[in-house]
Amino acid sequence: MTTKTEQSLVGAAPGRAASAAATRGLNKIYGTGDTRVHALKNVDANFDAGKFTAIMGPSGSGKSTLMHCLAGLDTADSGNIWIGGTEITGLNDSQLTKLRRERVGFVFQAFNLVPTLTAEQNITLPISLANGTVDKEWFGYVTKTLGLTDRLAHRPHELSGGQQQRVAVARALLTRPDVVFGDEPTGNLDSKVGAEVLSLLRRSCQEMGQSIIMVTHDPVAASYADRVVLMNDGALVGELDRPDTDTILASLAKLGA
Amino acid sequence: MLQVALAQVRQHARRFIAVGLAVMMAVGFLTATLMVNASTEASLGNSIGAGFRNADLVVTEGPEAPLDSPAVDAVKSTDGVGAVYAQEMGWIAFGTSTESGYGALQNTAPAGLDNLELLSGKLPGDGEVALDAGTAEKRGLAAGDTIELAPAGGLVAAEDLAAAGTGLTVSGIVKASKDPFMMGQPQFFTGGELVQHLAGEGGPQLRSIQLDLAAGGDATAVKSALAGALADAGFADATVNTAEEQTKAVVASFTGGTDQLTVVLLAFALVALLVSALVVANTFSVLIAQRTRELALLRCIGADRKQIRNSVLAEALLVGVGASIVGVLGAVGLMAGIVAVLQAQPDTEFAALAVPPVAVAVGLVVGILLTVLAALAPARAATRVAPLAALRPADEARAGNAKGKVRLAVGVALTVGGAVVLALGAVSANLLIALPGGMLSFIGLLLCATLFVPPLVTAVGALAKPAGVPGKLAAVNAVRNPGRTSATATALLIGVTLVAMMMTGAQTSRTAFDGQLGAEYPVDLSVGDLTLEGQPLDVSAAATAMNYDGIAAAGLITNGGHAEVHGARTGVYQLAPEQLDLLQDKTLVLDGNTVLMPQGSELKTLTVTGSKGSKELTVVEADSRTLPPLISSAVAAEIGVPKLPAAESEDYYTSLPQLWVSVDRDLDAWALLDLRSQLAAGLDVNEYQISGAAVERAAFNQVIDVLLLVVTGLLAVAVLIALVGVANTLSLSVLERTQESSLLRALGLTKSQLRGMLALEAVLIAGVAALIGAVLGAVYGWLGAQSALGAFAAVVPDVPWLQLLAVLAVAVVAGLLASVMPARRAARLSPVEGLATV
Ligand SMILES: Nc1ncnc2c1ncn2[C@@H]1O[C@H](COP(=O)(O)OP(=O)(O)O)[C@@H](O)[C@H]1O
Ligand SMILES: [Mg+2]
Repeated sequence: MTTKTEQSLVGAAPGRAASAAATRGLNKIYGTGDTRVHALKNVDANFDAGKFTAIMGPSGSGKSTLMHCLAGLDTADSGNIWIGGTEITGLNDSQLTKLRRERVGFVFQAFNLVPTLTAEQNITLPISLANGTVDKEWFGYVTKTLGLTDRLAHRPHELSGGQQQRVAVARALLTRPDVVFGDEPTGNLDSKVGAEVLSLLRRSCQEMGQSIIMVTHDPVAASYADRVVLMNDGALVGELDRPDTDTILASLAKLGA
Repeated sequence: MLQVALAQVRQHARRFIAVGLAVMMAVGFLTATLMVNASTEASLGNSIGAGFRNADLVVTEGPEAPLDSPAVDAVKSTDGVGAVYAQEMGWIAFGTSTESGYGALQNTAPAGLDNLELLSGKLPGDGEVALDAGTAEKRGLAAGDTIELAPAGGLVAAEDLAAAGTGLTVSGIVKASKDPFMMGQPQFFTGGELVQHLAGEGGPQLRSIQLDLAAGGDATAVKSALAGALADAGFADATVNTAEEQTKAVVASFTGGTDQLTVVLLAFALVALLVSALVVANTFSVLIAQRTRELALLRCIGADRKQIRNSVLAEALLVGVGASIVGVLGAVGLMAGIVAVLQAQPDTEFAALAVPPVAVAVGLVVGILLTVLAALAPARAATRVAPLAALRPADEARAGNAKGKVRLAVGVALTVGGAVVLALGAVSANLLIALPGGMLSFIGLLLCATLFVPPLVTAVGALAKPAGVPGKLAAVNAVRNPGRTSATATALLIGVTLVAMMMTGAQTSRTAFDGQLGAEYPVDLSVGDLTLEGQPLDVSAAATAMNYDGIAAAGLITNGGHAEVHGARTGVYQLAPEQLDLLQDKTLVLDGNTVLMPQGSELKTLTVTGSKGSKELTVVEADSRTLPPLISSAVAAEIGVPKLPAAESEDYYTSLPQLWVSVDRDLDAWALLDLRSQLAAGLDVNEYQISGAAVERAAFNQVIDVLLLVVTGLLAVAVLIALVGVANTLSLSVLERTQESSLLRALGLTKSQLRGMLALEAVLIAGVAALIGAVLGAVYGWLGAQSALGAFAAVVPDVPWLQLLAVLAVAVVAGLLASVMPARRAARLSPVEGLATV
C-alpha cells in the first residue's frame, strides 16, 4: 500500500487528537455461496484514547468480529485498521503477533489463563514472550489495585472465577498497551463479581488512563463505559455518551424493532 | 452402542491412525517372521526337487547299506519299473589351456528322467561333457571346446592335468542345477560311464536311484515291490519315496537351523508387539480421558457401564481388525519383494514365497487380541466416568489411586529382586541366573516408570529454560500428565534399552576377547612355513609386506638355535632388538641372559644350543601360550647362528623362518581380511598360513558387527513403533490444548515459538526415554557380558560412548520429527478459531 493513502486516511480520521484504535471502510466476509456472511459492512469507527468504550448489539451483529480485527487476531477482507495511530492493515502473522504482545491487552470471556502457570507467571506472560523486563513498581501497583498480591503464587484452578478474570485484567494492564480489549469479560461471572471487575476496568481507565474497548451484550456492563457504540447486522448504527442502563435498553429495543 | 463406536472410529479416524500404525507394524513383523520359515522350506523344496523333478519314485540309501550297483540291478529287475537313473556324482579337477579348478561331475539321466535345461549345443554323449552356463562364461568355454578332467585330489596344476587328465569335448552348455549338492561350484554333466572313471579312488557317490513307472504301473504297488526287492538284495534300510515325499524328507533334514532363526526372530517380534500394546493402551487412555464428557453424557441418557465398556472395546476391535489385515498384507508384500529380489539373483533364483495360512491367522488373531486386550484397562476406566461428569467442568487428571500403588509396589519389588538375581548371575558368571534376573528387574522398572520418568523429564526440562517462555512451558507440559508421559517414554525406553544393551554387550565382549587374544597370540600376524613354491620365507618377504597399506611393521624371525624342552627338541628363534616391537605385549624385554618362553613352560632356566656352543638362560614367561622360545640376536651370535637344516631333517619345520607383522590398530575387520588376502598373494602363501591376533580379532569383530547390525535393525521396528506413540501422544495433547494454544497465540506467542514449544516437548520425552534406556542398556550389557563371558575372560565394562550418543541423537531427532505433524496442525489454527470453541 502507498504511504500517501495511509497519511491521507490518518489525516481524514475524525478530528480527535489521540485515537486508541480506528477503522476505515472495514469489510469482513465469512464463507462463500449459500453460507456467505457479510459480518462487517464498511465499518468506519474511532475509539478515543484514554476512554472506556463498549460495543453493543444483538447476537451475531459482528461485535466479536470487529474486536478480533481491531486486535490483530484476525484479518479483514478490505479496509484499514489503526492501533494507537499505527496502521496494522496488511501486517503479516509474526508482525501481528509482535503487535499483540506489545501494544494490545486481552480479557476474554473464559479460558483466559494458562493452567500450568502461576498467577504471576500468567500476568507477566506477554512480557516474557517479548523477552522484556517487568516494571516491578508498576507490577506491584497493578496487582495491589486488583487485590491479587496474596494470590500471585496460585495456579488458575486454585482461583475463583472473579480472581481469574482479575488476573487476566492485570495481565492486560501490565504492558501499558495502547488498548485493552475485552470480549464479554464478565459473561461467566455472577453479577456481584462482574460488577467488581467492571469497576476495576473503569478505574484503570480513569486512574491509569488506559484505553479500553469492551464487547458486551449486557446493558449493565455497558453502563460502566464512557461511550457505547451500537452495532447491528455488521454495521455501526449509533452511539451513546455516558449512558445509563435504561438508555441503553431503550436503544437496544429500537434496534430489535 | 456399536453405532457409537462406528461413528467414533469414522469421525476421529485420524486419532486412530497411530494405534493402527503401531499394531500394523508389529503384526507385519510377526507375520513376516512366521513366513520366513515356510518360504525357506518352499525355496529349499524348489532347489532340492530340481534333482528329481521328473522321476516317479526315488530310492535313497539308509545309514547301514550305501547304494551301489546291486541295488540298481534290483530296481531294474522289479516289475512295473520303467526307465531307471542311477544318479552318480563325483568331485573332479578340471583344466582349460590356461586355468584349472575343482567342480562336481554328475552323470546324465536317460530320456524321460532327464532334468537338465540345455542352453546351447547338445546333451553330452560318451566322452563328452556339458557344463553350466556360469562356469562356461567365466572360463570362456563353448560347445566344441576341449577340456581336461581328472579326479579331484591334491593340487592340480594346469600342466599336470594335461598329462594326467582325460581330454573331453564340450557338447553343450546347460543351466546350472539348483540341486543343493551341485550348487555354488562348477557343474559338469557327462553321459555314459565317465563318472566311474573320473570319480577317483572311492568311485562316484550313488546319490539316488530315480525311476519312471512302466506304462500302467501303480505307484503304491511298485513302491512295495521295490522295498521287497531291495530288502532281498541287502538294502533293507533304503527308502522308496515319490518325488514329492522325497523333497519333503530332504527339506525336513535341512531346516533344523531355520526353525532356530524363527525362534530368534519371534523374540524380536514379541518386543515389537509389547511396545505396540503399550502404545495402544496409552492412546486409548488418552482418548477416553478426552471423551469423559461425552461418555458421561451417554451415561446420563441411560447407557450402563457394560455398554460403555463394550463400546470402547468395539472401537478397539474395529481398529485391531483393520490394522491387522493391513499388517498381514504388508508382511506378504514385504516377503514377496524380498523373494522377487532373490529370484533375480542367479544364486538364489529358486527362492519361493510361501504364505502359510497359520502365519496369516496368527498375525490376525494376535493383532486383534493385542489391540482389544490393550484397550481393556482404558475401557474399564471409561466405565468409571460418573454421569455427573457431563455437568461439571473436567478436572485435571489426578494421580495415585489404589491400583496404581499396587503396581508401583510390585514394580519396586521386581526391580530390587531382579537386580539382586542379576548381580548374583554376574558375580557367578552364570547367564542362566542373570537372564531371568535382568528380565524381572526390567519389567519392574517399566512398572514403576511413573516414579522416575516424570522427575527426570522435569530435571532435564530445566535445561530448556534459556529457550524462554516456550521452553518453560514445554518442560511443564511434558509432565502435565505424568501417567501419559511415563507410558509414552516407556514404549521408547524398551527398544532403546535393548539396543544399548546389545551395543555395550558387544563392545565389552570385544574388549574381553581382545585381552584373551593377547594371551593367545604373540603377534598381530605371523606367516609361517613354506611358500606355494616350497621355498622358505626370506628377508625379501618383510620388504614385500611393508609395501601394503595398513602394515605398521614387519620382520623376518629366523632360527637362533635349539633347546630341549621337557625332553623334546625345540627350535629357538632369535629376535633383533628392533623386532621386539612386533610382539603384542610391549612390556616384554630380552637381554643377554634371558629366553622368552610361552606361558606354562614350568621352567626356570633353559639351555639353548647354537652352532658354536650353548648357554644357560633365565626363562621369562610371556602371557601368550603359543610363543616360540625367543632369544636376543646377540645371544644367538654368541652361541653361533645355525644354518637352516636340510629339508629332510626333523628340525626343518621348527627352524623355518617366520614373518611377523604388526598392523595398524585402526584397520577394520573387512580391511584386515582384505589385507590378509593381498598379503597371501604377494608372499605366495595360502591364506591359512597367515594367522594371529589381528586375524582372529577381525573375524570376531566381523561376526559381532554383523550380529549387532542385524539385532539393531530388528529392534528398530520396536523403536519406530514407540516413536509413532510419541507423535500420537503429542498430537492428542495438542488437540486437548487447542484453547490454551490459541490463548498463547493471542497473547503474543509466534507460530514458530508454538512449533518450537511442541518440538521441545517431544524432544524432552524422547530424549529422556533414550537417556534412561542408554544408561540401563549399558548396565545390562555389561552385566550380561560379565555373566556370559566371565568364566572365560576378564570382563571390564567398556561403554561404546559414540554409539550410545548416536542412539541419543537419533532419539532426539526422531522426537523432533514426531512433533512436526502435531505442531504444524497446532500452528495452522488461528487464535480466533481456537478461542471460538469455548
Ligand atoms: N468463523 C466464522 N465462520 C463463518 N461465519 C462466522 C464466523 N465467525 C462469525 N461468523 C458469523 O459472522 C457474524 C458475526 O459474528 P460475531 O462477530 O461473532 O457476532 P457477535 O459477536 O456480535 O455475536 C455472525 O453471523 C456469525 O455467524
Ligand atoms: Mg461474540
